[in-house]
Amino acid sequence: MAIAPVAAAGRHRAGRPRRPRRGSRRLLPVLLDLALAAVICAAGFRYGAGFLQVHEARWVATVLGWAGVDSVSGSLERHVLVFRPDGEIILAEVTESCSAILSVLGLTALTAVVLRGRRQHAVAGLVVAVAALLLLNHLRLVGSTLAGLVWGTPALVLFHDWVGTVWNLAATLGGFLLMVCITLPTAERAEQDVAGRHTARRPDSWARPGLGYRPGDDDVRPVTRRVNLTGLVYRYVLPTRVARWIGARREAGRIDYRIGHLPSAERAARVRALASDGLGAHAASLVAVATYDDDPAVLDVLAVAIAARQWEPVTHPRVAALRLWARGWLLRHPGRDVTTDVTADVAEPPTERLPRDAARPSPRPPVPPARVPPVDPGPPMTASLPSPRPPAALPPADGPAVLVTGAGGPAGVAVVRRLVALGHRVVAGDADSAAAGGALAHTAVTLPRGDHPRFVDALLGACAAFGVDALVGTVAEELPQLAAAAGRLSAAGVATWLPDAAAVDLCCDKAAFARAMAAAGVPHPATAASAGRLAGVPGPWVVKPVAGRGSRGVQLLDDRDAVLAALRADGGLIVQTRLAGREFTADALVDRDGAVRVVVPRWREETRAGISVKGRTFASAAVTEVVTGALAAVRLTGPANVQGFVADDGTATVVEINPRFSGGLPLTLAAGADVVGAYLAGVRGEPLPDLDFRPGVVMSRYFAETYRSEDGAPVEDPCAPVAVRA
Amino acid sequence: MVSGTTPPADPHAGRPEGRPLVLLAYVCGFTMVALAAGLDETLGVVGGVLNVVFGVYFCRHLGFAVAAARWAEHDMLAADVGLDSWTPTVAVFVGCKNEELVVDGMVTALLALDYPADRLTLVVVDDGSDDTTGARLDAWAGREPRLRVLHRPPGSGGGKSGALNDALHLVDAEVAVVFDADHEPDPTALRRLVRHFRDPEVGAVMGRCVIRNGRDSPMASTVFVDFLSGYLVNEYGRQALFELPAYGGANCAVRMSTLRTLGGWNPHTVTEDTDLTLRVLMTGQRVRYDLSAVDFEEAVVSAQRFWKQRYRWARGHQKCFRDYWRPLMRSPYLSPVEKVETTLFLLVYHVPLLSGIGLLLTVLRAFGIGDLPVVALLPLSMLLFIGPLAELSVGLLIGRVERRSAWRLLGFLPAFALSIWITTRAYVDGMLGRPYTWVKTSRSGATSTVRVDPPVVTAAGTAA
Repeated sequence: MAIAPVAAAGRHRAGRPRRPRRGSRRLLPVLLDLALAAVICAAGFRYGAGFLQVHEARWVATVLGWAGVDSVSGSLERHVLVFRPDGEIILAEVTESCSAILSVLGLTALTAVVLRGRRQHAVAGLVVAVAALLLLNHLRLVGSTLAGLVWGTPALVLFHDWVGTVWNLAATLGGFLLMVCITLPTAERAEQDVAGRHTARRPDSWARPGLGYRPGDDDVRPVTRRVNLTGLVYRYVLPTRVARWIGARREAGRIDYRIGHLPSAERAARVRALASDGLGAHAASLVAVATYDDDPAVLDVLAVAIAARQWEPVTHPRVAALRLWARGWLLRHPGRDVTTDVTADVAEPPTERLPRDAARPSPRPPVPPARVPPVDPGPPMTASLPSPRPPAALPPADGPAVLVTGAGGPAGVAVVRRLVALGHRVVAGDADSAAAGGALAHTAVTLPRGDHPRFVDALLGACAAFGVDALVGTVAEELPQLAAAAGRLSAAGVATWLPDAAAVDLCCDKAAFARAMAAAGVPHPATAASAGRLAGVPGPWVVKPVAGRGSRGVQLLDDRDAVLAALRADGGLIVQTRLAGREFTADALVDRDGAVRVVVPRWREETRAGISVKGRTFASAAVTEVVTGALAAVRLTGPANVQGFVADDGTATVVEINPRFSGGLPLTLAAGADVVGAYLAGVRGEPLPDLDFRPGVVMSRYFAETYRSEDGAPVEDPCAPVAVRA
Repeated sequence: MVSGTTPPADPHAGRPEGRPLVLLAYVCGFTMVALAAGLDETLGVVGGVLNVVFGVYFCRHLGFAVAAARWAEHDMLAADVGLDSWTPTVAVFVGCKNEELVVDGMVTALLALDYPADRLTLVVVDDGSDDTTGARLDAWAGREPRLRVLHRPPGSGGGKSGALNDALHLVDAEVAVVFDADHEPDPTALRRLVRHFRDPEVGAVMGRCVIRNGRDSPMASTVFVDFLSGYLVNEYGRQALFELPAYGGANCAVRMSTLRTLGGWNPHTVTEDTDLTLRVLMTGQRVRYDLSAVDFEEAVVSAQRFWKQRYRWARGHQKCFRDYWRPLMRSPYLSPVEKVETTLFLLVYHVPLLSGIGLLLTVLRAFGIGDLPVVALLPLSMLLFIGPLAELSVGLLIGRVERRSAWRLLGFLPAFALSIWITTRAYVDGMLGRPYTWVKTSRSGATSTVRVDPPVVTAAGTAA
């Protein structure tokens, strides 16, 4: 029959047969897998066959010995010696074909190249199958030996070669089926039953196409959960941390199909809650939403939630896929109003209504419309979805929010508490999702560390999401990035008051700071940044990192050789003369024009891990003078924390300046100098009020706790009735 | 070149029905070699050759299993792109002959297809039914103007291909989609099938058929597992590794221009699907497989029906090998690797026959007749069983079937023995040219995936 080429009809260029080669790209990995199977078989046979033969022969003699048969010996390697009653001695060799090695290797190779996607289930299946194979083959060998013992050599050969061959085939098949059985999902986790009915109860639009039919009469049996080995191992065997880690990995790769059954508004809330827990934490579920959901309101929420977490590292291809999808969605729908779409669906019974954007007062200065309303997203779908909630006792606060970074540190906690007390709506940001300040604020948000390349992106996303109009940073290490991004922050409607980057650098580099103090004539301990200059620094010494905080890495040394060794071992250290006298700290606030608004000196009467736990405010003209001089020397504005010593003769020396609020800030606030409120006013462009303080105020700090349950809900403080005023 | 509306009398004629002389030549050749070289040595060589053949198929099966295990699940879950934006005109064809048990479910499912009504034509052919199929279809057509019914008089000939060719002349569309009478397509199946025709090189597209009556009998349950493996592993593997999936005769689409160019479906074969697959390939176009385009069909529920169905498949497939292997090997559109894969595909229904010969040689050796195979890399049992079992188990795995289904694989041992007998019989019958015509597969109609609300059928065959 003559076939008329379609090329003649113009579909292909005439005379140019197509030579597709695309399939070969996928052929290669498959061939490599087949090669892997061959290698497993070859290597296993090379190194495992002899071992197994030897032991199989010994096991036959041992087992028959246990059964009281003492006329069988396994003393010869790979052989079974049978001493018959009639005096005949049968020397039966356990050859490779007698051994279970071929079947064992075959199943191992199959597991490695075909079933490996089921991971631990496949391994468990293989282990059980191999055990069964060894047992069954052992029975075969024992049976053959007994046949030889009772009926002689021909019986042994007959049983082993013929009955045994069929036995071996059946054992291999049985082992294979056992392996597959264990590898397959249980009825509770399967998509379809043995007759092909869909049993997973997936939502129609979320179902995997064709995995089980749904009978018209819908007589699918109810799903029941039962105790399973994996759950018991997680709960009672594995350490809690390990179980949680594995659980988190499972959660990341698991699609929670229950989401698809929820009404639109609840589905949107769930999606938002999942995304806020981290795109990588529930990546599979979020990809499923992007793939299957056909509700534009839900997809809008997902896209915006993804956009707000662009700082999140792409730890999995699914996260990259989510971002690509969100980009495409937002490009296609640039003007959609998520909140309106979601909340307009009043016919459905959501667990908690989402407030409309319009209900919130306009931010000051204007903030771009928040795409994600700062609301409680409702109870999470799973127990591993903590979501930030303000403490129950916190008074409601309206208006634009203030974002405080470093909310886990003592300064951040103090700032958060002060701003909440002043009636501001506070968003507490920290790299630690369990930071204490988060529980004290209205909203907690997890941010990457200040040195992360996406820190500013994340910050902007959080500001947009929660209607933030002012930023208060309490982490000095963040300041360079924030200063560099001041324009972006301003464009996003977020007001900042950031010190000059050069001033921050000067404060954070102790060697440069020493040079600046010397140049300005401000008293400062002798400093050397290298072993070669140690001669100019009299002892005793304090060795500290060039950049560091909170007394981390500080060594007090009295031995010159030890100092030299420390400097030579680490080029990032400086050495200073350890000052005698009484240590002080001064909290200061410097206006944008360089005018020092207040200096609140306090004695550091006791510190723990670099944090002042006991202190007392005092007034000292000398201290105020050197502090003012030091601040002027570095040209720092905004909050500052100056540390130094007052010698026995009353002279003050400045040791370092931290361009941020200090850990002992509560004492300054208690003394009447509201540097936090004043700073926020300055951030928002208002004039700074005059500040004063009361000397002689004593602070004694204690540990305080915040509580919350796994789902983020607040837990009542058992000591709440005991009011303590700091 | 065949025009769209005036096909030649029979563009498919000219292929011999049987090749008895070739079969005789095989027998004579073996006898002469055995006499010349000795029977034992000859059997040893035959056994070695068979081992090589089995080894090749073992690797092929395992390769498909590996490919499916690697990628099939991801492909199944992949997001759809442009399902809504690509809607060429489509004509859906269904041939029915005595299908009163299933026709209502089929029509209900067709009417529920998600596709623009003005771009879709539904044509159901009543192929001379002597039960109430025609009356039911007329009743449906009375209720649903979208449905067009064509009645063929009894004895019109051509079987399914003849019915489809007649329907082909009724409509003009860009894509023809074919279902069988026992099929109930998923509403999205049509969009998923036709989306591949964006690529002008695509001549036909195959969807995935899922068994919907696995609970009806143990045989149906075995066929359910067989289909899982066949579509999720074997067909998927052919696409993934060689881009050579097969057009399967139902739940599949073909470009109308290609179909008209080829002269429609071949009425001289009982496996018009394989026939069309090969002819599409020889035109330089490709067949695609979409495992997310799903429809639900009935499995045979008894060994007798299994025999009839598989005998037809074996008979037709073996004939396709005889008819098309040489032209395919000369095709400029297939690479050498693709020609090898196509050969292996065409020989699939010969492998059980060869397995029977291999088992026969094993038995003969037990009685001291025949040397050991000259090539014996792996045990025969492993070559014969492990490859297909690996495919079947991966099918269960990707299908996420519950754990106890693993024991259903035991049902494939008797099915394998039955296949040896079926393919051997089909081969001998085909080579001898024994007459055979289309035999429709019997249905049970016990299970449906749709809620059927059939029109009342009057004695005159119209809706009440």
